[in-house]
Amino acid sequence: MTIPIIKVQQLDKVFSTDDMLTHALQGIDLEIQPGEYLSISGPSGCGKSTLLSIMGLLDFPTTGKLFFEGEDISQLSLEQAAAIRNKKIGFIFQQFNLIDELSIFENVALPLRYAMEPVSDKKIKERVDYCLDIVGMTSKAKRRPTQLSGGQQQCIAIARALVAEPSILLVDEPTGNLDSKSSDQIMATLQTLNDQGTTLCIVTHDIRYAEMAKRKVYLLDGQVLGQTQF
Amino acid sequence: MRKLILQYKQAWASLKKKPGFVLTVLMTMGITLGALLCVVTLNYLLLVEPLPYPEQERLFVAEHGLIGAKKETKAVAYTYPGLVHLYKSKQAFEQASMMMYGQDVIVSHSSQPLVNIAYVTPDLHQILASPMALGRMFEASEALDTNNPVAMLSYNTWMQEYNGSADILEKKISLSGVSYHIVGVLAEHFVEPELEIIGRKTQVWLPWDYNQAGKWQRQAFDNINGSLKFIGLLKQEVSQSQAQQLLTPLVNDRWQAGLPGDDDFFKGWTINMHVRSVKDRILGESESIAVMLLAGVVGLVLIACANISNLFMARTAEKQRQMAIQAAIGATKKHLFKAMFAETSLLMFMSIILALVLAQFGFYIMQQYLGAILPRVNELSLTPITFASAVLVTIIFALFFAKLSTRMINYRALNTTLQSSGKGSGLQVSKKTRQVLIASQVALATVLVFANFSLLKDAVKTINAPIGFATDNISTLILNFSSSDIPSQEEAKPIMAEIMEKLEALPQVESLAQGNSPLDGFWVRALTSVANNEKYTPFFKSVDHHYFNMIEQPILQGDNFTMAQRQDGANVMIVNQAFAKQLKADGDVLGMQISTGRPDSFKIIGIVKDITIPGDSPTDRDSSALGSGVPRVYVPNGLGGQSFMLKLKSGQTVSRKQLGTLLAEVDSRYSVFSFNAASAILTQTLFAEITTAVTTTVLASLVFLLAGIGLYGILSYGTQLRRFEIGARMAIGATRKHLITMIIGDNTKAVLAGFIGSIVLFALAYISLSEYIQPFLTWQVLPMVVATLVLIILVTLFACYWPLRQYINKAAIYSLRGSD
Repeated sequence: MTIPIIKVQQLDKVFSTDDMLTHALQGIDLEIQPGEYLSISGPSGCGKSTLLSIMGLLDFPTTGKLFFEGEDISQLSLEQAAAIRNKKIGFIFQQFNLIDELSIFENVALPLRYAMEPVSDKKIKERVDYCLDIVGMTSKAKRRPTQLSGGQQQCIAIARALVAEPSILLVDEPTGNLDSKSSDQIMATLQTLNDQGTTLCIVTHDIRYAEMAKRKVYLLDGQVLGQTQF
Repeated sequence: MRKLILQYKQAWASLKKKPGFVLTVLMTMGITLGALLCVVTLNYLLLVEPLPYPEQERLFVAEHGLIGAKKETKAVAYTYPGLVHLYKSKQAFEQASMMMYGQDVIVSHSSQPLVNIAYVTPDLHQILASPMALGRMFEASEALDTNNPVAMLSYNTWMQEYNGSADILEKKISLSGVSYHIVGVLAEHFVEPELEIIGRKTQVWLPWDYNQAGKWQRQAFDNINGSLKFIGLLKQEVSQSQAQQLLTPLVNDRWQAGLPGDDDFFKGWTINMHVRSVKDRILGESESIAVMLLAGVVGLVLIACANISNLFMARTAEKQRQMAIQAAIGATKKHLFKAMFAETSLLMFMSIILALVLAQFGFYIMQQYLGAILPRVNELSLTPITFASAVLVTIIFALFFAKLSTRMINYRALNTTLQSSGKGSGLQVSKKTRQVLIASQVALATVLVFANFSLLKDAVKTINAPIGFATDNISTLILNFSSSDIPSQEEAKPIMAEIMEKLEALPQVESLAQGNSPLDGFWVRALTSVANNEKYTPFFKSVDHHYFNMIEQPILQGDNFTMAQRQDGANVMIVNQAFAKQLKADGDVLGMQISTGRPDSFKIIGIVKDITIPGDSPTDRDSSALGSGVPRVYVPNGLGGQSFMLKLKSGQTVSRKQLGTLLAEVDSRYSVFSFNAASAILTQTLFAEITTAVTTTVLASLVFLLAGIGLYGILSYGTQLRRFEIGARMAIGATRKHLITMIIGDNTKAVLAGFIGSIVLFALAYISLSEYIQPFLTWQVLPMVVATLVLIILVTLFACYWPLRQYINKAAIYSLRGSD
């Protein structure tokens, strides 16, 4: 039996304001197996991005257990969480979140610069070139993010997510800021990556793209309404 | 008009929601603008405002400069007969007055207060058109050589010493054995020209004929007196330089003719008359102090302005959505500017009201504590200039902050703000602008903190400098003789001996010396070395044989004076190390003969260690060039002197009243002129340094605080704008260390630029104010430079870290989402 990359058990997330509590997630149980392509969809405000953030260690659950490659990581410090994010998880955001002051090359190289064990410049160049090649952006290496289109910026975000050879890519509304043509290209790139063995978990409210995943999870009001396996 | 009122109502409603912002702006701008109004008013008063006298532009003083054989200025002071000669000549001046300053005791008053006296000819108050509260001013009946014993009181003396008595003009006052009929009281708003010491206020005005000069001094052309002054209205047709040309030969010829024939000390010396405006004379060195104060406060205002700019930028960024809605419903850029101007003008109006209140308080503080340093501070009040400056400053700052805020708004992009969900909104202030703000903050703060540190260090050095003699439990008692029939030295000897006997018998007294303390002053005496005929003008003091022991001033070589030498009036002298070195490079001067101009020369019998009296400087260039202490000479005093040093037992006190009773028992003609503790005189002497130390400490702290707030503000704002970037970096694995290093690294360039900017500012200041700055430029400033840099760096590091901690100590999603 294979060890799931991510496993959540009875996960709750509660947001509190001065006068009310909001249960963003309630009793979520979910596993993501190596090589899987999972989509999480649901209406706006159902908790899909919150779930992705917790699985990606960007946020912490209120209660419940979180396992990464079989290890309980529910009680990690901020530094330990940063180390796992750096080495094991690749993020792709709706807003791309590229850094305007850095070149495309440096944006992609950034996770390697933050690595706990220093990576040589030679190795960094190899990895960055390789990842830019995967997304077809080698020629843009010296440019700045602001000089690229939205679709191209998202490709760079994908390259950055891949550069540290993570165990899983967590993708949050990757096409939310893109036109349909660019969206299709991005989704095709992600599909290719999964076909090559990359584990993918994608959050989207676009049914068309959710349908591309091998397993679909539907959320409603912070609870798993159902799962579909192809 | 209705629209305007509505706009201000909306602005007020908007500001009410942000009390922290309003309070910060109000306090920062209120305090700094208060200081600015205070200093602007002071500068206007000192540099621009005419003196409060009619025809003040023709009001001049004539100064009597003694020029040595090498054309150097030896002293600026009149001889008594020289001044009278000038006064009687009536040259160059339409009307003029002689003045002499002094102190005396009003013995007819029950509390026998010591008061400041000015002996004047009647012309003075006529020239000044002095306003009177009661009675009359001096007139022809009190002119030179009339000997009419009348007096005028200052308003404060009338109020404080005579409780504003309505029948004051029917009273008499007695001073030094003369009874004066009070003929007038000056008005409360009379402003006395501060010709001698800044802050000195004359309490009793007496006719010139009753001045304290002795018979000998009245005839002596070889004796100068710094308290003699000449003031007058220059003739319409005579210019300042013409007056100098007219007066110089007039006074010089008389002086040369009047010098004793056997005294060759003044051989080759001349008199140079210097005519300068009263305003210029009063201003003296104060101009530089006032300008430096203005420069310091302008620096503070600039720092405060940079701080508030940051706040307004942050507020504009915060109001972006609100402005987008306004734009969407048709507001033009002009509308947005007007709305912003309503807010900024409201804030500046509130700040300036606070500033005016603080300025008024500042005037009070300056009058209390800077009255002895800066002239005319008693005239400080909220004037039309203050109000005009306040209005101007309000308009300028309101426009500046409104313009700055609206410049940030990208009007065309406002619509996209409404369309976006709020995630990842773009930068509002360019990185370049933020870097410029950081650099300017650092540059200004560095300059001001360094300048304050340097002044503080200098003041503290003077305060803490060892003076070289003891002051603990030592007081000086000076007697007043309340009769015109002044006893001779011989007549006074037995009286003084009895007084000393009674003083020594007091249980509180540990020891006694005849003469006053080093802090009560030295004379300047012209001396000539018999061996080589070299001339010197060291400080000079008559002391007894207990003096050096009592003040613990060590005798390094030779002997102390003896009682026999005092009794015999022996021609012996003790010099200090500085004068010994001036006389002979190796300082071996024991046995050397020094002439005072009398037939018999003085023999040097001892050398004492140098002492330092704050504010004392050598009397001529030759001795200052030695780089050592001030040259001093001591001779044995006679037994009839009327001043004493009392060393009291630890914890003991003697009252002025007790001493008065003791004196009355011996001889009722004697009373207490003054009785002051040496430590109190020392504190008073150090007043300027203590004031400087306190002011610079407060200013440095304020600068540091404002710079800290400013740097924090701009770095915090910069960090706030980068929160999504910080979130993104955290998402891909950046640790706290990575992010702190990144923020510090990014700001290092701006901080370095700020340090370079401060060097440029110093260079500019050096070019324009080199004469004031030059004395400070020694290697000793290096620790100050290091301390300043370390402080600024620490503040910057704090300002880098503190705003960042809210992101790096929370889950990454907090930064990415843009809210809790």
